[in-house]
Amino acid sequence: MSAKTEQHHMRMSTKNRLSNTVIYIILILMSLIWLIPFICIVLQSFRVESTGQVGYVIPKQWGLDNYVTLFTQTSFPKWYLNTLFIAVVVAVIQTVIVLCMSYTLSRLRFKGRKLLMNFMLVLGMFPGFLTMIVLYTVLKDLNMIMENAVPGLILVYVASSGMGYYVSKGFFDTIPRSLDEAARIDGATRLQVFYKIILPLSKPIVIYTALTAFMAPWGDFVFARYISNNNSAGMNVAVGLWSWLQRDTISQRYTLFCAGGVIVAIPVTLLFIALQKYYVEGVTGGAVKG
Amino acid sequence: MATVKLTNVKKVYDNKVVAVHDFNLDIKDKEFIVFVGPSGCGKSTTLRMIAGLEEISGGTVEIDGEVVNDLQPKDRNIAMVFQNYALYPNLTVFENMAFPLRLKKNPKMSNDEIYERVTKAAEILGITEYLTRKPRALSGGQRQRVAIGRAMVRDSKVFLMDEPLSNLDAKLRNQMRAEIILLRQKIDTTFIYVTHDQTEAMTLGDRIVIMKDGYIQQVDTPQMVFDMPANLFVAGFIGAPQMNFFDAELKKKDGKYYVEVENGRFEVRGEKAKMLAEKNVGSQKITLGVRPEHMSITHEKREDSLRSRLEVNEMMGSELHLHMVTENGKKIIVRVPTLTMDDETKKHLSYGSELFVTFESKAMHFFDPETTNNLLI
Repeated sequence: MSAKTEQHHMRMSTKNRLSNTVIYIILILMSLIWLIPFICIVLQSFRVESTGQVGYVIPKQWGLDNYVTLFTQTSFPKWYLNTLFIAVVVAVIQTVIVLCMSYTLSRLRFKGRKLLMNFMLVLGMFPGFLTMIVLYTVLKDLNMIMENAVPGLILVYVASSGMGYYVSKGFFDTIPRSLDEAARIDGATRLQVFYKIILPLSKPIVIYTALTAFMAPWGDFVFARYISNNNSAGMNVAVGLWSWLQRDTISQRYTLFCAGGVIVAIPVTLLFIALQKYYVEGVTGGAVKG
Repeated sequence: MATVKLTNVKKVYDNKVVAVHDFNLDIKDKEFIVFVGPSGCGKSTTLRMIAGLEEISGGTVEIDGEVVNDLQPKDRNIAMVFQNYALYPNLTVFENMAFPLRLKKNPKMSNDEIYERVTKAAEILGITEYLTRKPRALSGGQRQRVAIGRAMVRDSKVFLMDEPLSNLDAKLRNQMRAEIILLRQKIDTTFIYVTHDQTEAMTLGDRIVIMKDGYIQQVDTPQMVFDMPANLFVAGFIGAPQMNFFDAELKKKDGKYYVEVENGRFEVRGEKAKMLAEKNVGSQKITLGVRPEHMSITHEKREDSLRSRLEVNEMMGSELHLHMVTENGKKIIVRVPTLTMDDETKKHLSYGSELFVTFESKAMHFFDPETTNNLLI
């Protein structure tokens, strides 16, 4: 290597290092800003000396009192179970529907397939809130509101799941069709092809689908608030915790609210940490060959 | 072990494109049939219709006398090897090969029998040491062997192969081709093999089906296809480099046939003259076909020769490929063995030098310029 090119390399690497440093500083700053509310909430949840909002972040007296109260003297466990039940059921049903739907659209050719796909795509562009009033009336007739909001909410979340076929269809499209064909010749039925060959190859997208299906009801507020309609038995955590932030309750319940928020975040955080690898693969899986 | 019969089989796609027109073929038990043709000729579509992967738009497909049009692929008792191997990436080589056996019902196959069959097939194919590996840890040739193994273990009636060697490099392809010939003796079943490579077709097939634009052009043994091509397409497709074609005039005079090409005049003698007479062919315009390897060159003019100029001289080792241009500007290729060439001719093999091309009656193929059909069939 000549002295000149060496010099050139040096210059390049200094330049790279400099730009990397700047990028990292920006990223660190951004994540700090992003983390501040979380840190505040976690800290506040351990505050014992008072229960309302205060002008400082670090508690003067630390303790688990809020958590104990949360599980012994409030409706929080009920809300938590409601939410968990809804999210798990929705995750299971929706994953099955979405995967079957996308596999069908990816592999089978039938009349109206293109039309159906376009129709669902356009329909998906309308905000779901547009249907809220109608849904409320329907669910009311079915007696699935207020204290019976849980099955009603499950119905609402699951009903449109077929429309979320897009990402997973993109993933299935990257699996060569000759695999299906080989398996069918080898003696497999369509269903066997799906669960013996295609599903094992689609782990990232299965996990991605299940996670997103779990997340939506886990954090939903608008529909849950509307359908539970102030009845504590039908509330999910988001609605329940929000009800503690009203003008007349906030001074007694603010630290409880923070503790509840931490408890709500735990399972989701754990899920993401455990499945992070697959989730990233799933998000990018539709675009590149899996 | 089975016969396959296709009667007026047709494939029309949704957009009204006809991929296969009235395909009729009787495949005998244990026969090795090769479908060959350029891409888009319908050969793979036909194979896929036999496999049940493609709906049959018209006509019937029979396997062992039973119409299978409406049977699912799994119920047709066939095995298939794909161009891209189509191995299951999530399963080991052993499980890939065991997959069709595990799916077998009434009677369900015991684990011992599965083990026995898979290891036996692996032994024949020389892949025993890879049985515990995943497909991605194998080379192209090894993967193809696994794919063949997976098809082998089943004792199916018909063995379908869809361009199985196309993804391999040239050297490996030659080697695998020889292995398929050996394999065929061991498996002893009915084979249908699709390829676009005429060498594979010639070396593997008992009979070759040559297709173009969804029509069968000719069905015959490799030798017959080579010696007596049914039309210009077959003549041009089989053989490399391809057959040279000339616009020519066939003259019948005093019971003798002559072919006039450019300034050359060739008498048709022997077998070919007899055949022309039997078919009662008269004087007419023809397209004359002569294979490059059946031509020879001289450096002195004869009546039955064509004056040509040498453009490119390709040294292939045992032979030369001479690219020449005739007086009328027609480009032709002549294959000349280097071993028997005399020194005088060798001197003339430089760019632009003038040579005379000649050929014998045996080498001539006569085609109707209108219909492109062989006049002797």
